[in-house]
Amino acid sequence: MKGWIGNILRVNLTSKTYKKESFTEEFAQKWVGGRGFAVKILYDELKPGIDPLGPENKLVVALGPISGIPAPNTGKCIVAAKSPLTGFYGDGNLGTKVSDQLRKAGYDAMIVEGKAEKPTMLYIEDDKVEFLSAEEMWGKGTYFSNDWIYAKYGKNVGVLNIGQAGENMVRYAVIRSMEGRAGGRPGIGAVMGSKLLKAIVVKGTKIIPQADPAAMKAAGYGDLKTVHEMDKKSGWSIQSTNGVLAWCNEVAALPVENCRKTSHPDAWKVDGERLNNARVATYGCPSCTMKCGITIHDKEGHESELDYENVALLGPNLNIFELDQVGSLNYLCDEYGMDTMSAGCTLSFYADAIARGAAKGDFKFGDAERGKELLGMAARREGKVGNLLAEGSLRMAKEFGNSSEAYALQVKGLDIAAYNCKHIPGQALSFGVGPMGAHHKEAWIITFELKNSTRDSYGADKAAKVIELQRIRGGMFEFMVACRFPWIELGWKLDNYPKYFNLATGLNWTLDDMWKVADRAYSMIKLHYIREFPNATRKGDYPPAVWFDAANADKEGPIAGKYLDVDKYDQLLQHYYDQRGYDKRGIPTKETLGKLGLSSEAAAAEKYAELS
Amino acid sequence: MKVTVKLIGPLIYAAGFSEKEITLPDSAAAKDLFARIKLDKKRPTIITRNGGAVSAADELSEGDRIVISPLYSGG
Repeated sequence: MKGWIGNILRVNLTSKTYKKESFTEEFAQKWVGGRGFAVKILYDELKPGIDPLGPENKLVVALGPISGIPAPNTGKCIVAAKSPLTGFYGDGNLGTKVSDQLRKAGYDAMIVEGKAEKPTMLYIEDDKVEFLSAEEMWGKGTYFSNDWIYAKYGKNVGVLNIGQAGENMVRYAVIRSMEGRAGGRPGIGAVMGSKLLKAIVVKGTKIIPQADPAAMKAAGYGDLKTVHEMDKKSGWSIQSTNGVLAWCNEVAALPVENCRKTSHPDAWKVDGERLNNARVATYGCPSCTMKCGITIHDKEGHESELDYENVALLGPNLNIFELDQVGSLNYLCDEYGMDTMSAGCTLSFYADAIARGAAKGDFKFGDAERGKELLGMAARREGKVGNLLAEGSLRMAKEFGNSSEAYALQVKGLDIAAYNCKHIPGQALSFGVGPMGAHHKEAWIITFELKNSTRDSYGADKAAKVIELQRIRGGMFEFMVACRFPWIELGWKLDNYPKYFNLATGLNWTLDDMWKVADRAYSMIKLHYIREFPNATRKGDYPPAVWFDAANADKEGPIAGKYLDVDKYDQLLQHYYDQRGYDKRGIPTKETLGKLGLSSEAAAAEKYAELS
Repeated sequence: MKVTVKLIGPLIYAAGFSEKEITLPDSAAAKDLFARIKLDKKRPTIITRNGGAVSAADELSEGDRIVISPLYSGG
């Protein structure tokens, strides 16, 4: 077997033991790596119904066959577990040197199980694993922890760590790495915290086996240079992802005031031009050719790294239009180790619930200073309000009642990314059928809708486009573990990815082979879901109810009076199910699962839920 | 007639402006406006008028707000 090392590291924190386990070539080719590995491992090893914050849950860190070799923008890893936020499979990707260090240490993935007796840091160096005290770091933020680790081991190690939010099991706590950014929106950082696992540090010195290392080196280094030159020519990195903020504002897709509005006259104050003007430094992930991390000085003088999602959801969605204040809120999320998107949606929901009279409190839209205090209270689970905010918007809505769930901006418990879909049916569908909830990485169809179709259409072409994008974005890029930006932002051809895969593995795959793995991974996430929620209905694939609400329609602007049509959305959903081979609940049929080679997984699911 | 053009992201630096008013002959189409702006015409873009889709052949109207953006993939 080439390309894959063939080993998984299994670490048990309870017994302080570890072992190297091998996997077969059949497993490798069926699941490839990253999300594929994680979804299969967790399906086989987790019993439905376990507490995601209990010792039975497992953390998977997974890489792919092109991790750690010179291919453009592959310095990422997947972190996954049963989500404390959504109650079923959840994952995320983040830039980190763990991508190459764990592979050089001799592993394609690692599984962390059990629970440590006291705060622990795992140190992995090739075949050795040490269970070290993390008590000096416990209670501290992610910047402190990462610096502490660098001071001890140097900057060439791979680091995954959590902040106070992970330690206190905030349900949207993430895992951080200063070599990249953050990952694990569905609370994967809280799973680390529940295990008293503060950090994972990895150093590897071995050679990663490849089928044709010389050809891979030549192609990889050549492509790294080419993609970098393409970025310079295009100017994409000047504003990075935040270029899209001004566009969303122009086309009435920006989340403003908990998605009450879709644009704001002050949005320009936090757009890509202002971000570029305020730039202090630029950061990228390992092997990055188009760095997207622009830092500014926040209100308190910290360096804060911003991108579109966190600017929009911690800015306009809270009615905050001072870039340095947005920087402050973002810095606190990063320091505490909280998902910036869920934090933004949770705060906006809280402000909205108070404004609508569903809850009592002192937080108003536009109050950045109180927002900062609330983030700290959530991270520390301080008092009733802090504990409430730490639970996320859906659980808060259930607590508040008064029909407030309608304006909690979430799907299956996972908060939306920063696209206000009042009148964007395809993107609303993308959020609705995102297998883990409303994640932005699965399918981004807005530009297709505005360029090739109309906003009024709920046609089958939109369902087809969502599936096409899911296969690429939530599929291939997640199981190969690579960044999608060179493809969509610069036009780097998708064919390059099977090329890298074939040079690493010696196989002869095409994109069609990739789509099959993508469909398999998506179906497996649905099996995780139905196993945990056997009474699930298609309503679980609906976007936030507020987008169907006539009273929430814009009063002015390009989509004045428009809102999603619930019957038409349901038909669009059916188009998606039909094209996917899913039943009326949105669950793959046994026939579909059989075609994907998942008959045994289907049989396992049937112990808990009925399949069609 | 006068229309307002707003450029997005990297197009601002390529064309040398972020937003400006442009005077066009009456009955000019979107493609006529595009020809007046210093941009790589091969670059995939999405053009909207007053928040909705517009095709190259569509006739523009006095006071239109035209937004030209590269294709993004989100944050």
